[in-house]
Amino acid sequence: MKEININDDIYPNMLKKIKNPPKKLFVEGDLENLNSNCISIVGSRECTEYGKRWCEKFIKKFSRYDITIVSGLALGIDGIAHRQALNSNMKTIAVLPCGLNNIFPNEHKGLFKQILKNGGTVISEYESETKAEYQKFLERNRIVAGLSIATLVVEAAYRSGTTVTARIAKEAKRDVFCIPGSLDNIKSLGTNILIQKGYKMAISPNDIISNYNFLERKKRKVKKEQISKEYKDLYCIINNEPKDINYIMKKTKIDLSELMVKLTMLELEGKIKKVAGNRYIKI
Amino acid sequence: MFSLVKSMSLEGLNGYLVEVQSDVSGGLPSFDIVGLPDTRVKEAKERVKAAIKNSGIDFPSRKIIINLAPADIRKEGTFFDLPMAIGILIAIEELDKTTLKDFEKTIFLGELSLDGKINSINGILPMCIEAMKLGIKKVIIPKENEVEASIIKGIDIIPVTNLLEVINYIKGKKVIDKNNSLNNFNLENENKYMVDFSEVKGQENAKRALEIAAAGGHNCLLIGSPGSGKTMLSERLITILPDLTFEEALEITKIHSISGEIEKGGGLRTIRPFRRPHHTSSPVSIIGGGRIPKPGEISLAHFGVLFLDELPEFKKSTLEVLRGPLEDGNVTISRVNSTLTYPCNFMLIASMNPCPCGYYGTDDNKCNCKESSIQKYIGQVSGPLLDRIDLHIEVKPVEYKKVSSDEKVESSAEIKKRVNKARKIQIERYKGLNIYSNSELTPNLIEQYCKLNKNSKIILEMAFERLGLSGRAYGRILKVARTIADLDNSEKIEQNHVAEAIQYRNLDRKYWKRG
Repeated sequence: MKEININDDIYPNMLKKIKNPPKKLFVEGDLENLNSNCISIVGSRECTEYGKRWCEKFIKKFSRYDITIVSGLALGIDGIAHRQALNSNMKTIAVLPCGLNNIFPNEHKGLFKQILKNGGTVISEYESETKAEYQKFLERNRIVAGLSIATLVVEAAYRSGTTVTARIAKEAKRDVFCIPGSLDNIKSLGTNILIQKGYKMAISPNDIISNYNFLERKKRKVKKEQISKEYKDLYCIINNEPKDINYIMKKTKIDLSELMVKLTMLELEGKIKKVAGNRYIKI
Repeated sequence: MFSLVKSMSLEGLNGYLVEVQSDVSGGLPSFDIVGLPDTRVKEAKERVKAAIKNSGIDFPSRKIIINLAPADIRKEGTFFDLPMAIGILIAIEELDKTTLKDFEKTIFLGELSLDGKINSINGILPMCIEAMKLGIKKVIIPKENEVEASIIKGIDIIPVTNLLEVINYIKGKKVIDKNNSLNNFNLENENKYMVDFSEVKGQENAKRALEIAAAGGHNCLLIGSPGSGKTMLSERLITILPDLTFEEALEITKIHSISGEIEKGGGLRTIRPFRRPHHTSSPVSIIGGGRIPKPGEISLAHFGVLFLDELPEFKKSTLEVLRGPLEDGNVTISRVNSTLTYPCNFMLIASMNPCPCGYYGTDDNKCNCKESSIQKYIGQVSGPLLDRIDLHIEVKPVEYKKVSSDEKVESSAEIKKRVNKARKIQIERYKGLNIYSNSELTPNLIEQYCKLNKNSKIILEMAFERLGLSGRAYGRILKVARTIADLDNSEKIEQNHVAEAIQYRNLDRKYWKRG
């Protein structure tokens, strides 16, 4: 664990610019991440399937650029954001509302280790043994927002901590984007209200990325893998909308047990993914 | 005067001989029953008294003592009414036992009404089986139990309707013939079930999974939104299970007989039982029990299907008691009065919603459940219980178009043919091992009978690595792959069998887990 002072060179530049930057930071992991291009992802701890899906989709797109994902290591959207960042080979920073020796929440101790293992960073403004308290969550949120060029609100309930973070980010003159949600979904009410109030709406990841022309596209390993002939028909039917196995069977006219075998194979090759309800989507 | 009449009683699934000894002597008029009678037996006094009186015979105003030997076993039930009445009548010399041929080898069973009518009793079948073993020649039983008793051959069944008829029969005034036309049961009757798989449109994947479950005797869990057809599918599972053998049918009938589950005039149970206890059921009602233990739902589902609808709604204690019986195929219940073992070799089919609102994973994204609450909901089913479930089947609602189409759907009989074939292969393979299906394979036997070739091993390894399957899935996948291979009539487990088996481990997948 390293301690960095506000006057150190390594101290994150973006963070210095907010109203009340922390005097010192306790850091575990890669220090370089602190001055990279960060986008923070905030959202409900009790997110829904909808929030999870879109959070993952946005991050996947972000992974094509040199972007670091910042979040708070909390349950729900935070955890999903960190995990997806790791899965997409991105750097990620977790900002804790507690000391670094006192990880909160307990369920994410494993994730904490994984982040460090994969070149990520975990920071906190508190001494290592400090316990998480309600007040500290809000203080933490100002760092999350402060570190990044933009904040993406995925799902937020009405008057939740997430909406507070959005406000803090706006006060710090950072861009805030919101993913709109269904009116049925109470966990989207907060985001929809933010949009109503004039926060920016992000319908696609490009809405965010296009604002920052300094973002560099990562060189992609251009490796268009060939799908072998026998799987081609099947692979064409599966797309980004989950498709039911009985539907796929009808369309491809493949015998059910043979179809299951082929689906398993495609899945093992990492081409498709099974989601809840016996449905499959393209990766 | 003293008299001795033979009767039977039940202990667990087996009958045992009871001697009803009556003694009528001078003294103050009284009527006592000794030999550990329970309330039902004690109350027989009044029934016997009234029945004798209403049959036109004076009830003696003397001191009557009846002993039920062996006197150290607690007796319960109403089968002793008839033998007690006959015993008293012989003791007061109203009847002469020498007028009935083989009186010493005759058994009397039946409950009396006040007017002398003889009512049906439970447990006729196990008692008759035991009687035959003891060399008894005749059993006099209530007419309503005639069909059930006549399953047993080699013993004379005398069905009677009232006390007077028995008296006249013993006196030789009336001849009661055994009806021989009752023994026509057919174990391979095609249309014995009210339901059929041809009524289920769509759901091809679930049907395939149930076919595998039936072929290997695997326990399965159906996961799906409300109205997706989980119950409909489960109810039809028994229609594709292999036909019962006579021994199996006999054992089922025995259990149902002592529980009073056989309908009036019913005989051998030729269909597999489908039990469906409500989720408020208590642990005792599921595994059996009581002061003198009675079979529970799992024993009533012996050789059939135990269907637990809405699995997470069951009390935790109720589900946990299933763990032992699922493994052993029998359950031992100990109470102060007796310790009994009942068989319970059943297939467990459970169903549940995927989340509290029920719509997680449907196409229209109706589900607004929090991820944590989905986790909590799934978590209500404990790991050890899930360990005993081989197949996880996700069921989705069928669109109206499909339900209303006239598309031709495979019938249960066709599926059953394939199932029967696969079962035959298994029985042949496990000869001498005392197991009959792939689901019963122990870890040792899995190693011996579920050998994988190189390619299959690679697939399985990759599956664990990439799909996030948990370790407990390993043995299950092998067993299911073995069954799929059997359905395919393949001696070796090929890679496609393993690949298909992997698809049936949904709950072990990452998307059900946190984050």
